[in-house]
Amino acid sequence: MIEVVGLSKARAGVTALADVDLAVRPGEVTAIIGPSGSGKSTLLRCVNGLETFDSGSISIAGHRLGPGPQPPRLLERVRRDAGMVFQQFNLFANLTVQENVALAPRVVTGISPDDAARRALRLLDRVGLAPFAAARPATLSGGQQQRVAIARALAMEPQVILFDEPTSALDPAMSEEVLEVIVDLARGGQTMVVVTHDHALARRAATQIVELVAGRVTRVGPPR
Amino acid sequence: MKTMSTPRTVSCAALVAGVALVIAAADGATAELDEVRARGTLVWAADQEGGGPHVFLDPERPGSLTGFEVELADMIAAELGVQARFQQGQWDRLPLLLGRSVDCVINGIELLPERKRDYACSRPYFAYGLQLLARRDGPLASIEQLAAAGPGGRWRVGVLTGSAAEVYVRSRHDLEVDVIGYDGTIDSLEQVQSGVLDAAMMDDCIFNFYADRFARLRAVGRTFAGGYYTVLTARDTPRLTAAIDEALGRLIADGRLKALYDRWDLAGRQQILALRDAAEIPVAGRRSLRQLAADTLPMLLAAAGMTLLLACVSFPLAIAAGLAVAVGRLYGPAWLARLLTASVEVVRGTPLMLQLYAIFFLLPKIGLALPALVAAVAGLALNYSAYESEIYRAGLKGVPLGQFEAALALGMTKWQALRHVVVPQAVRLVMPPVTNDFIAMFKDTSVCSAITVIELTKRYSVLALSTGRIVELAVITAILYLAMSWPLSLLSRRFESRQERGE
Repeated sequence: MIEVVGLSKARAGVTALADVDLAVRPGEVTAIIGPSGSGKSTLLRCVNGLETFDSGSISIAGHRLGPGPQPPRLLERVRRDAGMVFQQFNLFANLTVQENVALAPRVVTGISPDDAARRALRLLDRVGLAPFAAARPATLSGGQQQRVAIARALAMEPQVILFDEPTSALDPAMSEEVLEVIVDLARGGQTMVVVTHDHALARRAATQIVELVAGRVTRVGPPR
Repeated sequence: MKTMSTPRTVSCAALVAGVALVIAAADGATAELDEVRARGTLVWAADQEGGGPHVFLDPERPGSLTGFEVELADMIAAELGVQARFQQGQWDRLPLLLGRSVDCVINGIELLPERKRDYACSRPYFAYGLQLLARRDGPLASIEQLAAAGPGGRWRVGVLTGSAAEVYVRSRHDLEVDVIGYDGTIDSLEQVQSGVLDAAMMDDCIFNFYADRFARLRAVGRTFAGGYYTVLTARDTPRLTAAIDEALGRLIADGRLKALYDRWDLAGRQQILALRDAAEIPVAGRRSLRQLAADTLPMLLAAAGMTLLLACVSFPLAIAAGLAVAVGRLYGPAWLARLLTASVEVVRGTPLMLQLYAIFFLLPKIGLALPALVAAVAGLALNYSAYESEIYRAGLKGVPLGQFEAALALGMTKWQALRHVVVPQAVRLVMPPVTNDFIAMFKDTSVCSAITVIELTKRYSVLALSTGRIVELAVITAILYLAMSWPLSLLSRRFESRQERGE
């Protein structure tokens, strides 16, 4: 599903990623752990083209990304197949909860607004937030917002979902809500890559742990 | 909100009343003859934009004024034993300078009943006739043709705003003409030549003077509806007025005035004969306040409608263009961003008046003659788009980057992300400053009078001068402006409070 080979990236002369290899098979949940500034998020953002890299290559869902800027059309296809969930949720502040989930299917895949709305409601139900469909994101708790963000990513039916520190901005109770959703997705066979320093999350959801220190992979293996 | 509006309304009314008092009080500060003599200068007002042969910049000696009235002012001042000093003013507002910085107005001011009512008028010093002018290759061959619509509908006739030509042609309700007022006579000649106007009407001496420069134009028929020029003084300086009258009498009697007109090729002998036989002009009556309101309110309301139209059509165009420019600068390719940045600087760095002039008077020279209203809307929209683009740029930058990234991460193109996510948020963010600019545009529409669009301020100025009721009409006009901008202020404050509540 994902094959990262020899990925290196430097920012302002400082090494961010050094010769990183990573393989993610379908149905696998990979947790990328490591201290702050170790390059975890950078690696994840390179995988869906939000950042460029200097050398190496990334294969993802049948697409291949090379070093440097990539053509916009390629990036759009990669991102359609690789959903992303951010630490700060980044729900669209100008739209309701339901519109947040329905927007991309409508404008990117071009399904009808009615179908998009129906699908959005189903996904909101799956993360337990159907009653909040008409609410504005700002009125929801952090945990609820992150669940909406997951529903938004699912709406594109991605082959893999990338999570960038999904629980770091949440208190323990709200983290638990989000974790349950992720565990539920894992049971359903959803391929996921989760950047986190929440060891509970890594332990309960991951089938593979990758540890990154100072931009280098220091450990790959099953959870202990 | 409700409790706030009452004291504000009161304070606005107090402001209007205060301004009116200041205007009324300023009339007291007029210099009488002895003050003029003590000072040693006679300050006379004219508009060098009005052109020749009256007062204009000397092409031989750039920077200095010439014209038969420049010489006449020198001669009158010499008769009073003082030096003449020139004061520039806009032609249709020259009389307003009397009693401020100016002792008299000498600039082809026609002797009309309304002028005699509002100002002191000297004995006539020059006789003029009105002349109609058109293109040599145009369809207009006689003034009688104006009574029926021309090949392009109603005839479009340009006049100098506030001139006798304007008064005359507006009073001829039997003519199928649209009268368009200009701030300078040359402007109207230019516009006849470029085909924007069918004809222009002005004092004969003006066209005689410029005939060579506008060789493609010709006089249509003979002169008609003539009259006299007078030196205007304030009503409360009778001794100055009398001294100017006596000075003119001596200049006429000893032949110096005839010599002056002969030097300027203005048929001195005919002038002196006409002045000798000048008939007494009656003084116009003063209307009651009720009558004044009844006579002027429909025109002021129509002009307020024009102000509304200009702002309400121009502003949406300005924000659409401003938004496009802001998006282009932030998200477009580098060459486009540089081009747009340069354009914004050019538009922001030049006055609205100049832009309107360029669109209205210069574009016809390259074959693009826009009607005045279209030119006004284009100019306002262009000017404001530069300012709005800066506001939207700040708004777009104020939307967190995460919003844009989240949209991209769902597979949206850059433009889809902007359209559905970033721009809607930016637009909401800048609602208060944008509404504020809308209010500002309401007031800036008055600049459009420079390109012949009659909006509220221009209509006020014309009516105030023709009726002499400067203060009363100022109050009515101010109230009309407030009535238009007040709802917008409320709207702007509502946006702000909504934003503070975080909706």
